[in-house]
Parts: sequence; structure tokens; C-alpha cells
Amino acid sequence: MPRILVGSVQDITSEHPVFVRDGEIEIGVFRLGTEFRAYRNRCPHQQGPACHGVVTGTLVATARSNWRPEWVLDGQVLLCPWHSMEFDLTTGARIRGRGERLRAYPVHVIDDQVYVDIGVRGSIVERNAMKAKT
Amino acid sequence: MASTSTNLHDLMIVDCDVHVNDPPEELARFIDMPWRRSLEHLGGGNQRYLDIPGYAPSLSIDPPFPDRGLNNRSVSDPAQMRADLDGMSINIGVMFPDNLLLIATLPDVDYAAALGRAYNTWLAEKWVSAEQGLYGAVLAVPQDPEGSAAQIRKFGRDDGFVSVYLPVSGVRPLWGDRVYDPIYEAAAEIGLPVMLHSVGLIHPNFPFNLDHLTSRIARHPIQHEFALMANLFTMITSGVPVRFPELKIVFTEGGISWVPYVMWRLDKEFAETPTAAPLLERPPSTYIKEMYFCTQPVEEPERPQDLVTMIDLFDGRDHVIFASDWPHHDFDHPQKVLSTPFPTEVKRKIMGETALGLLNLTPVAATS
Repeated sequence: MPRILVGSVQDITSEHPVFVRDGEIEIGVFRLGTEFRAYRNRCPHQQGPACHGVVTGTLVATARSNWRPEWVLDGQVLLCPWHSMEFDLTTGARIRGRGERLRAYPVHVIDDQVYVDIGVRGSIVERNAMKAKT
Repeated sequence: MASTSTNLHDLMIVDCDVHVNDPPEELARFIDMPWRRSLEHLGGGNQRYLDIPGYAPSLSIDPPFPDRGLNNRSVSDPAQMRADLDGMSINIGVMFPDNLLLIATLPDVDYAAALGRAYNTWLAEKWVSAEQGLYGAVLAVPQDPEGSAAQIRKFGRDDGFVSVYLPVSGVRPLWGDRVYDPIYEAAAEIGLPVMLHSVGLIHPNFPFNLDHLTSRIARHPIQHEFALMANLFTMITSGVPVRFPELKIVFTEGGISWVPYVMWRLDKEFAETPTAAPLLERPPSTYIKEMYFCTQPVEEPERPQDLVTMIDLFDGRDHVIFASDWPHHDFDHPQKVLSTPFPTEVKRKIMGETALGLLNLTPVAATS
């Protein structure tokens, strides 16, 4: 399975993702505490460069908060720079969406080096998604 | 010539709404005294997004959530615009202002008229270039219909100007009023379509009296779609399409899903009370079907086929035209509109061919 070296663990900070490329596919690698996530840099909304967006939080109001707005998920919400669509960086799923997701790639840390497995989403999951549409 | 391809790169894409940034220091060179000194003084500072120099018509009531509202993109020169449009495979752009989107709110007629003249001259000198595929819309200042008619006659004969821009936000009276007849006469005489374009605004003038709507997503559709509807209602009832049968009328930045509603409601009202619109020679919908509607902000239904159905409800395959609204926050990439499941020949019309005819354009330059 194709595997791309992203860099050492220390190279990837929570402030800035690191980008790697597989042909025309750009992948953003994010640090979330001690974990890493890798997503294709393409928003499912209008194909904007989602991974270039700001990582922030969002506002929700629930029965648990007695319908008072609460700022939540700070440092976990990626905003696409084109239309501010919100994605949960832990899963790649659009927050409060219709099931849209950023394409995710498996990340491995081996001897303090971060790798992204490419081909998995492209060859298996993407095909499954296409099959699901038909 | 016919192609079955619906690839962006293989289509002639005409974008009927892109925005140029119009800061006061640039307009200063083209405006009469005493305003020249005023704009020089006001220029270069931290101008609020989409605001008129020296005037603050747009009440800002949204809380400053972190990281939101920061993508207030602007385009400051033709090279940047050309590069941006090339990046989206857009061949031709029709240019509208940023700040002067709100010009209809200015109470001072002389200042409004001077700003309008300065903008048109600046646009002609700095931006308009048929070779670059960048075309102008002559700004018609509603506070000065006679002066605007003169501007249309002055700039509208230039091949680089392809339409007349009618500002919608805050306009009073609405664009159906006969006070605007000089503007329509001039546009019809030159053969330019008029393009109504709205923008976000909170203001006492209907339907922008929205300070009690505290959620931005509640206000935004009213500021655009409702405002376009209100103006269309008055244009129909005052018989603009009857009195100016050659005039082509275009609605920008309201999407298209409101059109069937307006059409059917007006037909119903007209059937019951035709005396309320005695100029009309036939049902209102028949005039509306002759108008043009820009796609942006294009509707995004869960079932894409629903957008096809919506356009077919007003026989719109020849009357819906692509617009991106680049570089504003709610712009549409052409790929989004192109993905609507129409036959290829309809996609070609919507993405460019219809607009070429509407704007009387012969494309002289393709993107690089």
C-alpha cells in the first residue's frame, strides 16, 4: 500500500497542518493533541481548499444547556475558507450537515515519523461511496 | 461546433456578477470637488467591508464570532481578477462594485450622483477590457435618474460596457416607479439590459427594515430574494416591460427558486384584480418568463434534479444565466452550477451562451 512520509511528530503542530501530495491530490495532515488526522484538501461542498481553513470552535445550543448558546469543540472545527462549512477534525464529518465528509486517510506514527497511507480511500472507500450513490 | 462535453475547460463561461474593490482613494481621482478632497482624506484607512466612503448606511448587528466573517475577499486590480477567473475557467466577467453596492441609501443626491459618475469613469479607465474579458455595468444612481441616463448614454455605447446596474439595497422608491423612466429609456435606446443587484443591508427602507431579525441567516434571504421580489412586483404593476418592450431585465444575486412563486401569485392576483395593473396586456407570468435570472447563490437541494424542475417551472432554460459573485463570501464556483443534471446543450446556455446573446457579446478573448 502506498505510504507517504509526512515528517517527524515534532514537525506537525496543532496550529498548522502539513501538506503532502499524491499526484494531483493534496492531503492536509492535522495534529489533534497526541493524535493525527489526514484529509484530502477538497471540500465536498464546492471543492474549496478546506484544509487551508482556520481551526476553531463552533456555537451550539441544546436542551442540556437550557438552549443557551455554548462555544464548543474549540480547536476541533475546521472552517473551509471558501464558504465556512464546518468539519469536525476528529472525524472529517461536516458538523450538522447532510452526511458530507472530508476524505480521510489512515495515519501511522512509526518511530516518531508520521506517515499517510494513500490509496485506501481512493481505491476502496471512494469506490464504495460511488457504489452507494448508484 | 456542437460538443457533448460538459467539462468546465471546454465551455464558454460568462460570469454575470463579479465584484471589483472600489476604495475611496481610487475614486478620488475621478470625482468632483469638494468630494475629491473628502475621498483623499478618507482613503487608505480601515474602511468597513462594503461601506460607502464617509457614510455608514449598513447597521452591523452581528456579534463578532471568532474566525467567522474574516473571508471578506476583495479584488483590487484587473490582473488579479483575470487570474482569479482563470482559476475557475471563467472566460468573461461582468463587473459590479463592492462599496457602492449600497449607493442607493445615500440621502445626499449630489454626492450620490458624483460618486456614480466617478465610479463609471474609474471602471472604464482601470477595469474594463474586452481583451481581458472584463466588461462593465454602468452604475445608474437611482437618486439622479436624469444624470444616470446621461451616464448610460456616455458609457453604454462603449463596447466594454454591456449592461446597466440598478442598485437594489435601500432603494426608494422601488425600481418600478416611473421616476426611473429616463434610466429605462436610455438603456432601451442603447440596447443594454438592466441588472438589478442587491446586497446585505439593515435600513429603514422596505424590505431592509430588519434590525429585529437578529440572526444573519434570517436576514440574508430577505435582503436579496425579498428585495428582488419587491422590485419585480413594482416593475410589473407599473408596466415597465409593457412600456419598454425592448428592455431586457435581469435579476442578480437572489438565486432562482423565488421566481415561480412570484409568477403564480401575480397571475392569481391579476386574474382577480386586473384593474390594479391596467398597463398589463397579458398575465404577469408571461412578462416574467421574458426576464433573466442569475444563478447565484445557486440553490443546493438534496436532490439535484429538483433544481432542474425548479427552472423548468418558469421555462427558464433560456433565461437562467450563470453568476459567481466572486470574490464575495457566498460565491459559487461554476462547477457547482455545471453539475446540475441538465442536458449538455442546456448547460452550455446557462453557463455562457445565453449571456453572450443577452449582453450582445462577441467573445474576443478566452482564458489562458
